[in-house]
Amino acid sequence: MGGLIAAAGWAPPAMDWHALAPEVILAAGICVLILVDVVLLERGKAFASAISGLVLLAAVVPLLTLAVSDDTSRSLFGGAYVVDRSALLLKALFIISGYVTVLLSTNYVAEGEYWESEYYTLLLSSVLGMSVISSSRDLIGIFIAFELLSIPSYMIAAWRKRDTRSQEAGFKYFLMGVFATSVLLYGMSLLYGASGSTLLSKIGETVESGRATPAVGLAILFVLIGFGFKISAVPFHSWAPDTYEGAPTPVTAFLSVASKSAGFVAILNFVFYCFIQNSSATDVVVPVVFVLSALSMTVGNLIALKQDNVVRMLAYSGIGQAGFILAPLVVAHDRLSDALPSIVVYLVIYSAMNLGAFGVVIAAARKTRSAEISSMNGMLQWAPGLTVLMSVFMASLIGIPPIGGWYAKFSVWRSLLQGATGWSYALAVLIAINTAIAAAYYLRVTKAMWFEEANDGDVTPVDVPPSLRLALAITVVATLLFGIVPSLLTDAAAVPLALGH
Amino acid sequence: MIAALLGADSFTGAVPTNIAFAIVAAMMIFAAIRVVTTRNVVHAALYLVLVLGGVGINFLLLQAEFVAITQFLVYVGAIVVLFLFGIMLTKAPLGVSDDLDNRKQRPIAAIVGLLMLAVLSFALIKTWTDQKVPFRLSAATNTTELSDSIFSTYLIPFEVVSVLLLAALIGAIVLARKD
Repeated sequence: MGGLIAAAGWAPPAMDWHALAPEVILAAGICVLILVDVVLLERGKAFASAISGLVLLAAVVPLLTLAVSDDTSRSLFGGAYVVDRSALLLKALFIISGYVTVLLSTNYVAEGEYWESEYYTLLLSSVLGMSVISSSRDLIGIFIAFELLSIPSYMIAAWRKRDTRSQEAGFKYFLMGVFATSVLLYGMSLLYGASGSTLLSKIGETVESGRATPAVGLAILFVLIGFGFKISAVPFHSWAPDTYEGAPTPVTAFLSVASKSAGFVAILNFVFYCFIQNSSATDVVVPVVFVLSALSMTVGNLIALKQDNVVRMLAYSGIGQAGFILAPLVVAHDRLSDALPSIVVYLVIYSAMNLGAFGVVIAAARKTRSAEISSMNGMLQWAPGLTVLMSVFMASLIGIPPIGGWYAKFSVWRSLLQGATGWSYALAVLIAINTAIAAAYYLRVTKAMWFEEANDGDVTPVDVPPSLRLALAITVVATLLFGIVPSLLTDAAAVPLALGH
Repeated sequence: MIAALLGADSFTGAVPTNIAFAIVAAMMIFAAIRVVTTRNVVHAALYLVLVLGGVGINFLLLQAEFVAITQFLVYVGAIVVLFLFGIMLTKAPLGVSDDLDNRKQRPIAAIVGLLMLAVLSFALIKTWTDQKVPFRLSAATNTTELSDSIFSTYLIPFEVVSVLLLAALIGAIVLARKD
């Protein structure tokens, strides 16, 4: 066998198992979940959630050892797979978001007669895809990882099989996602055709040399549109509210945080390793990003004003937040060292506060069986703890200091003002206006909880199970900590910038 | 494709290849138009065989034999057959059905299609007009190179695909079964 391989002139690739350890653990965890289900059958259901939680926590360990190891920029497969500080931070974001989602799902899935261990298998597969995409610097790697994170999420969006709204959610998400994928693939094929390489760095050199300009311009447009669907940027947002409302609520939390961040990571990889190095590509990127960002924040926030359902409101607010997160890309060419960290910081803080808000919605719905804003009336009387937590998350989403969200908005704003171009000033003004609009609908939820009377005078307290408590604790600590001591996050996010090129 | 068409070298047999390429491409365009205009869903699936098979033949003419065979196996062999099974098993109308071709949308569809064609042709022709694809007469080694790179450079995507297929399989069974 060995002689045969040698005769074929093939050498096995050098493997850095330490760098691949988080992915290996996740993949092994998926196999364990399936085996436990197959061997123990019905008795195995009780362990599914615990196993997936443990697997995700185990995957954090190599992230920490990699972060403190001497070699913080590991490049595998000729630069196609890079494990550097920014990749580690993003992997940590995805894996911990996945863990919080498992905590949010534990009781929801167990009590709702869903298929349990299959649910966690798909959730872990999706997290594995996100972990791989954070490191991929290669067209094929990015595409395959993108599919791995998308396809399981289409299916868990339709997990409430008996409810037609959930079927609609999964189906709409699937059709829009597949359409976006085809646009994305066409853009990628043009990039490969122009450069003859699948490596982002090699494609970046072609872009820089200014060869193949019309095709590359079209390719950049297609790639941004393809990922624009994933991050639900206007005008590619139409699937999001229906999908978020119909999907099981923990899945909605996962989609609005992890899935959306993964779309951003893919965009960041393309923009920073491929498009940003020369000005003719920037001529395409900046106007496209400006339009997506301005439309997303304005349309998302205006429609969110009219929503009576918290989940739909959070869906539209997520569209608006996507506009904020995209904004620093318009200054990325000149102010790389401000733009990238501000986006990463925003993603981390947004994930913490949004997961927390969904956690409160899930906890409250255990009593009210509803996600209408009016169902939260008088929550102060029947769930004072949840009321305070929700107020913290809403204040953070508005951007009130010293809670996390303010620092996220501040860093985006600062990088825009320092960019000092017409595009960036226009976006900075739009962000200020939209923050004011957004305050209106976030405060409406807070007002219902604090000042309205409970519906029908029903003040029986709500029972919050331990896993939900843990999820809320993790998210509220993260939200407050990153707001009060933002240097914790900026230090971690600042280092990769030097390695950006 | 355009580059291949325009890149005719004088002696290597590239000219007959290019003529064959053009004939197949013309057949594919005709079949692709029929896929969206026919009123019989079975005919649409069969026209799709012509389009996808044409892609396979063109890959073969470009000496990408592995991609060509994959194209035949996966698209013609699996996907279209799946379409036909789907049509048969779901009691869809087998004959002519007026719903299949929405006449009112034809002008808009034509405009959108032509616009896309114009933009794509502009970008492709402007970028690659003067480039030529070398025509190789040597024995093809594509498949060897492909297998080497799958198990070295693209090892991670290859492994990730297997997780993806497993997840898709599990999810599809859960969603499709009756319970």
